[in-house]
Amino acid sequence: MSFVEVWHLIIGNPILNVLIVLSHVLFGQFGLAIIALTIIVRLVSWPLTRRQLKSTKAMQDMQPKLQELQKKYGKNKQKLQQEMMKLYKEAGVNPLGCLWPMLIQFPIWIALYQAIMSALATTPEHLLNLAHRLYSWEMVSQAIPLSSQFLGLDLGQTALQAGGRGLLLAIIVGGTMWVQQKMTTAPSVDPRQGATQRMMTLMMPLMFGFFTLMFPSGLALYWAVSNIIGIVTQYFVTGGWGYLKFRSPFGKY
Amino acid sequence: MKNAKIIFLIVISLSTLLLVSCIPGSAQPIGGWPGTTVHDNTIYVGSRDGRVVAINALSEEMQWSYHITEPSDGMGCGPAVVSAAITTPIVDGDFVYIGTYSGKVLALNTTARSQNPDLPEEPQDRYHEWETPIGTGARNNAIVADLVISGDVIYVSSSDGRVYSLRKDFGDQVKKSGILDEKHSKLWTSPVIEDDTLYVSTFDGHIYALSAETLELLEWSFKLEAGFASSPLICKDTDTMFLGSFDRHLYAVKIGSAVLEWRFPEEPAGNWFWASPVVNEGIVYAGCLDGTVYAIDAQTGEKLWEFESKDQRGKPSSIVSPPVLIGNLLIAANEAGNVYVIDPETGEGERIKNRENGNKSTINAQIRAPFCAHEGLVYIRAEDNCIYVVDIEKGEVSWDFSLAIEE
Repeated sequence: MSFVEVWHLIIGNPILNVLIVLSHVLFGQFGLAIIALTIIVRLVSWPLTRRQLKSTKAMQDMQPKLQELQKKYGKNKQKLQQEMMKLYKEAGVNPLGCLWPMLIQFPIWIALYQAIMSALATTPEHLLNLAHRLYSWEMVSQAIPLSSQFLGLDLGQTALQAGGRGLLLAIIVGGTMWVQQKMTTAPSVDPRQGATQRMMTLMMPLMFGFFTLMFPSGLALYWAVSNIIGIVTQYFVTGGWGYLKFRSPFGKY
Repeated sequence: MKNAKIIFLIVISLSTLLLVSCIPGSAQPIGGWPGTTVHDNTIYVGSRDGRVVAINALSEEMQWSYHITEPSDGMGCGPAVVSAAITTPIVDGDFVYIGTYSGKVLALNTTARSQNPDLPEEPQDRYHEWETPIGTGARNNAIVADLVISGDVIYVSSSDGRVYSLRKDFGDQVKKSGILDEKHSKLWTSPVIEDDTLYVSTFDGHIYALSAETLELLEWSFKLEAGFASSPLICKDTDTMFLGSFDRHLYAVKIGSAVLEWRFPEEPAGNWFWASPVVNEGIVYAGCLDGTVYAIDAQTGEKLWEFESKDQRGKPSSIVSPPVLIGNLLIAANEAGNVYVIDPETGEGERIKNRENGNKSTINAQIRAPFCAHEGLVYIRAEDNCIYVVDIEKGEVSWDFSLAIEE
């Protein structure tokens, strides 16, 4: 069995077929199926997300102590790193804890991208290839071929091809990603590290906004919904906007 | 600092992976599978690189080729257009007609082009050639289904969900239907004409009857729960049409009736009936994507026999191309590249062997395109962009022709 066959068997085909069943159940609306699948993915990855959020909260609480260390050992980088690691260890915080949910979701993104492209079958080739990946469930048979229209968008087309609405989707993806990142990224006590962090916080949303223009709108819809769920979860679990500060026009934060 | 480096590496690897799967404008090329047509000892076919090619079937040499210029998709990870010629060429009089993925119908003068192979690759007014865009927009009007000619009119199913009629001589649009499939907004199945009525099957499970003259909907229509995967085939003797569905059944529908004649098989087959069936002397021969050719009593829907096609590992291989009757033999080909000669009465079949290695499939490439039979020879365009001519009597591939342009 080749890697591709194993991939389809274990992750690709189940996601594809679940997506099609969801579409059938949700009034033939593929967009709703993507939203529902995103919620399911979020529920499945909830234990990891909770760990990440707890880690973020702990990092947030540690900020005053980290700033103290910065003041104390600011000139001795090595000592600062050692003390910071010691502090993390004492508090039981893994500074890389926030990365795991992202890494685990990565194969799901790929599978979902493939599932969206396969399920929408925008070309005759896709439609024919789809035949070999479907389960023999009645609901699947009755749902095929899917309608790609959702809220005036063709989910099989790239946002670039969709024009104004596609551009709006790209802004939503980029904007929600920026908000989510700002909520979870603790300001660094190291100025150089802080600069890199600020760059990454800006680069990631820009990059995903750009990807939204390049990839089928169905995938962008997944990103947007996933980000919004992330923001809402973050808000309620950590009890606020985290590191995202709103500057009021009256000069108060 | 260490954290930032790790995040940076993750972002870089993530973007690299995403971009590798998406080289702008080149992802998931549309090859299409135009079939072959033989007329006056000339084979007409669309190539994977977007050309209409005419090959002299006697001298086995190319007569002329015409490259269809297609708009580039530019940036984006959606499907990119590579092959322009999607439909099987149709020859009528001095002209060959073809539909393209960019939504154009093209009429080329076969006589003029065979006499002047260096004619420019654009329609020549002096030879009454023409090119007509269908519908509006660059993407949603792709012509995927084969064209249909009746009298002086060409009927075209478009991916914008409408049927168009064009004048055969000048290509002017005569009429267009309303959108027949609101849900999917696309028509990928060919219309079938019977008397003055056009019958169209849709992905949302309808069969519509349209006036061939006005393209307006007539009173009769038929609706299934599942969508139709194949174009209808009409048996004129019984006014019955046969067509495959995405629910893995083949259906027989009597024109004018609201009641289903029969559904085959009782339990769903292994996959879709993608190819249009053929009917002869009261028997329907249907190829299925589960790799089986079924012979079904056209009247009752009972199975008479079945023939399972295989790949070289002994596993069933999909039948994508419609089977073809040649004399008293049924020819079927599967995706694995095997060509079979089947006795239509008994269902006993024999695989045509590969001329170089008997253990290999008949053709060393996938077969997906519709093929045609003419005077004992079967003309197949395989997915390696070659034409294979199979001599049924000798039971071998007698010659092949590469459609690839030599550098």
